[in-house]
Parts: sequence; C-alpha cells; structure tokens
Amino acid sequence: METEGHSKLNLTLLLLFGIVAALLLLLAWALRGPGKLTKSGASSSALEASDRPHVNFLPHIRQALDTSDYEFLAEKSTPAVQRRVRHERRDVALAYLSALQLEFEGLLRMARIIAGLSPEIVVMQEFERLRLTAKFIWRYELIRMKLRAGFAPLPQLDRLGNLISGLSVRLEIAVKELGERAALAAELASPRDRRGIGLV
Amino acid sequence: MQWVWGISIVAQVFVCSLLFLRGHFRRIPAFSGYIAANILQAGLLIAIYYQFGFGSRTALVLAWSSQAFLLLLRILATMEVLHLVLGPYRGIWGLGWRVLAGTFGVIVLITGIEAGRNISWALVLADRGFHLAFAAALVACLLLVRYYSIPVDPPYKVLLGGFCFYSCAAVLTNAIGYALSLRGFAKDEPVWQLTTITAYVGVQIAWAVALWKAAPAEESKPALIKSSIYRQISPQINDRLYVLNEQLNQLWRPRVTRN
Repeated sequence: METEGHSKLNLTLLLLFGIVAALLLLLAWALRGPGKLTKSGASSSALEASDRPHVNFLPHIRQALDTSDYEFLAEKSTPAVQRRVRHERRDVALAYLSALQLEFEGLLRMARIIAGLSPEIVVMQEFERLRLTAKFIWRYELIRMKLRAGFAPLPQLDRLGNLISGLSVRLEIAVKELGERAALAAELASPRDRRGIGLV
Repeated sequence: MQWVWGISIVAQVFVCSLLFLRGHFRRIPAFSGYIAANILQAGLLIAIYYQFGFGSRTALVLAWSSQAFLLLLRILATMEVLHLVLGPYRGIWGLGWRVLAGTFGVIVLITGIEAGRNISWALVLADRGFHLAFAAALVACLLLVRYYSIPVDPPYKVLLGGFCFYSCAAVLTNAIGYALSLRGFAKDEPVWQLTTITAYVGVQIAWAVALWKAAPAEESKPALIKSSIYRQISPQINDRLYVLNEQLNQLWRPRVTRN
C-alpha cells in the first residue's frame, strides 16, 4: 500500500513537471512575438499581387491531372516519359496545395485583423475558425508529406469545380473590399506608423 | 536561507525605486502597489515571527492571510498589465478576460476538490493549485495575444513572463516539498523554499532590467472598425475557410487513379 502511494505520488510529480514544462514552452513561444504569417515553399508575393485566386487556374490543373491524358501516355510513351509526367503531375498537385494554403493564410490574416479591430467579437465564430485552422493544418501537412513521399494517389478534382462555382460572388467582392480596408486599417494601427501620427 | 531572503528584499526595493523614479508607477499603479506590498509583507513577517515565534499557530494564520492578500494583488497587477496590452482592442480584451477567468476558474475548482479530500495538506495544495491556475490562465491569454498578433511592449512582456515563470517555479517547488514531506524528508523542505525565493530573485532582476528605461510613451489607440463589419464578414470568412477545407478534403480522399 505504501508502494502504491509512492507510485501515485511519482505519477503526480511527473504530471506536474510535464505541465510546467509545457507551460514554459508555450510561454516562450507566445512571448517571442508574432510569427511569420506565410510558410516557406511558395512565394506569397506573386499570388497576393495577382487579382486571380487559385480557382481561376483550376481548369488548367484539372487538365494537368486528367486521367485520360495519363492513360493515353501510358499506352503511347516510354516509362521514362511516364515517370516524368508523374513527377510533374505531383508538382502540379503540390503547387495547388500551396495555393490553397496561401489563400487560407490570407483569409486567416484578414479575419484576425478584422477581429482585432472590432469592438466586439463572437466567441463561437472565433472558436469555429480555430477548429477549421487546426483541421486544415493537419490535413495539409499530411497530404504534403504523402505527395512528396509518393504515397498519395494523385487527386481527382472533378467535384472541385462545382464546389468553387457555388461560392457567392458577393462574398468574393465583399471579402476583397474589406480585405483592402482591413489592410489599410492594420497599416495605420501598426507600431511603425504610430510615431508622430495621431489616430482618430 | 535568510541571506537569500535578504537579497530578495533588496531586489524588490530596487524594483520599487525604479517604478517610482522612472515614472512607471503612473502606467502600472497596481503593479507598483504589488511590489510595495511585497516589501511591506516582508517587514510584517519579521515582526510576526519575532512576536509569536515560527511554530505558533497565530503566526501561521497571519502569514498565510498576508500571503492570500498578496496573491490578490498579484492578480490585480497582472490584469492591469494585460489590460494595458489588450485594452485598446476591445473585442479581443472581451475574449481575453473570459479565457483568463475560465481557465483560472476550472483549475481552481479542481484544486479545491483535491484540497477538500486532503484537509491536512489543504493549504499546500491550494497554494500549488493557485499558482498552476495563474500560470495556465496567463499562458492562455498570451497565446491569444500571439494568435491575434497584438503588439506588446518589451517591458510588459518581461513583467508577464516573470509572473508566469515564478508561478511555474512555485508549483514545482511546492510539489517537490510536499513529496519530500510525505516521504519523511521534511527537514529538507527549507532547501526547496530556498529554490522558490531564488526564482523570485531572478524574476526581480529581470523586472529591474526591463524597468530600467523610462516608461514607454503612451501609444495612440488603434482605429477600431464598426462591429457590424465584423458581424457581416466573419461568418463569410468562416464559410470560405470551410470551403477551402472541403477542397483539401478532395485531395485527402481522392479517387485512386490507375498508374
């Protein structure tokens, strides 16, 4: 019974050590300052500068990943050409993945700016966004690893066109307009611009 | 151990002087009050132990009561610094203090139940629980600050980091001291108390370095947008994020191509 008590105590101690270590790590990360909002691997400048979201490239990507094209090649070409096409299709899928990720990050950035500058926020909206972010990051990293390692079958994008065309045009326009206004507000609110500038 | 306690008091007096000489007390009066109260408590404890002795029940009650009062002041001081950081962002502050209160409340509740089951060690467990709740709540709020990329002046980062670090050290030394006492090594407990005081001295030194410079000039508040914009756009952004997740889902569960 004494041994059982001691092992319970050891477990409690271990648990507390673990919790404190986690808290200190999170503290260090939180105080480090705002992280970079874009990941490496794909330059954001080209896409951000472009007015065309990735959806406009979908027909080209669908063409690049069309199975009938690949089946034709498999019948008519050498294994070396098939391998090259397979690699290039994989690169197309990875590029599309990066485009999705950049758009996701851009939307998140806009959402954070809008939430930060709003006098009131809806907690459920924020938690929902956090849930969507966690889900996206998890799937994104897993798919990227699988594609790079060659384990994932190449995607069929047949239903994507329908999904994307279902988006409200008003949302696209409203988000774009507010994105520009939020970016301007964030610029005005940034520390660099505060020196000597009085904000209303 | 007494000389370490003496160094701790000297460090606190130095920090208190900086708060008043550099003008920080105007921006953070509650924090300044907390440091001053710490110094006063040290004097009070000397008087109490001189009058009643170390082992007396009266001394124990008075000492723990003064400690409880200090913990309240610490909460106020921390809230003050967090409000300085998040106050201009009203929506985030509204979320932030709820996260603080929720995290703190849940952990204190669990601790209260644990302390209730072990009355002889209730004070020790309650002290540990408080520090754990305090550290966890503060970290949760700071993660929120990081998530929304809210800028934090470096001195305030050090103040908040110091509070959290000290609470984490208190949790560990409390837990180790408790474990040692249960296993019959109660005489080693002063060693662990020394660890707590040493951690506090380290925090005081960090605060002194952070407060060495004059108080930062009060920054202009950010221009807030209308809440109707947030209420209109936020759900639409979430819908868009949901669609992007669905697009990723298409890649996640593709139909297998025959290669």
